[in-house]
Amino acid sequence: MKIRIIPMLLAAVLLSACSPPQPPQLQQGTLLPDAKIIADFQLTDQNGKPFTRKNLMGKWSFTFFGYTHCPDVCPTSLSMLAQVMKKLEQDKTPGAKPQVVFFSVDPERDTPEVLAQYLPYFNPDFIGVTGDPQQILRLTRQLGILYGKSPGESADDYLVDHSASILLFDPDGNFRALFGTPHDPDRIAQDFVAIRNYYEASR
Amino acid sequence: MKSFLLSLLLCSWSLLACADPAIQVENAWVREAPPGAQMMAAYMTLKNTGSSDVTLENITSPTFRMVMLHKSVIVDGVARMSHQDSLPIPAGTSVALEPGSYHLMMPAPEQRLHSGDLVEFNLQFADGGTVRVQAIVRKKP
Repeated sequence: MKIRIIPMLLAAVLLSACSPPQPPQLQQGTLLPDAKIIADFQLTDQNGKPFTRKNLMGKWSFTFFGYTHCPDVCPTSLSMLAQVMKKLEQDKTPGAKPQVVFFSVDPERDTPEVLAQYLPYFNPDFIGVTGDPQQILRLTRQLGILYGKSPGESADDYLVDHSASILLFDPDGNFRALFGTPHDPDRIAQDFVAIRNYYEASR
Repeated sequence: MKSFLLSLLLCSWSLLACADPAIQVENAWVREAPPGAQMMAAYMTLKNTGSSDVTLENITSPTFRMVMLHKSVIVDGVARMSHQDSLPIPAGTSVALEPGSYHLMMPAPEQRLHSGDLVEFNLQFADGGTVRVQAIVRKKP
């Protein structure tokens, strides 16, 4: 009887070693069943340099879509992302450190100069991206990001409604996971590590 | 010494100058704005300790040329700010102005405000009462 059990156990161990890794259970994020490949776009970073799909490749990217005239939700989310980065600082795994990219959905007012002033306040490494409204639309449409102007006190004081989710791109530049609100830095940092490990194990 | 004590008394009185003593304001703060930010937000908790409902109708401040009462809401994942004409505070309840919800929105003043600065708001209520509030500028997530 014993003799039979051992080969069965062995087979089970071998099978589990060969089976693909299971998607992680996330606390806050939603992992896309299949990473979404996005078409290229032509935008500009806060230093006036081109920012395209290529800039989302080679490292993980947390991305957020907002505008600098937003006094409540956007600074809260950017401070939260700064906290996530702080929590991930200890992680010395090569290629582990993600970048944070803030895409403006208010390119009329958010020039590269404005973004260059605004973003380092949260973290000196944060990247700000703006540019041609058509190109922003081209990118956001692929990602399900919504935004639109809503009237404020005067013509210049308009508000912008915008998706509040944080999107995670993998080092292939593909849309991989999404974090809805309310955002919690501990959970997002832990989810990120789980997603990254799963990605590495699946390659 | 006597005059010092008197001025201290007057000062603390002015901080709490409540023509409407039924409203207590707690934890009033202004989020320090990043350089280049044109808009700022302030938060506080309004506690109605009285037995009648009150309604916050208007807010002014010597520091800001305009103070608006707004509410952030997230509907189907989309964040949206809506202007509020007034804010009811039923008797015996408190209403929190906090990140991601009700807040005051102000255009940033020419002189940038820094963490630790104090700014004043005058809250005007429908019954004619006013409450003067000191809020501290804070760098906060």
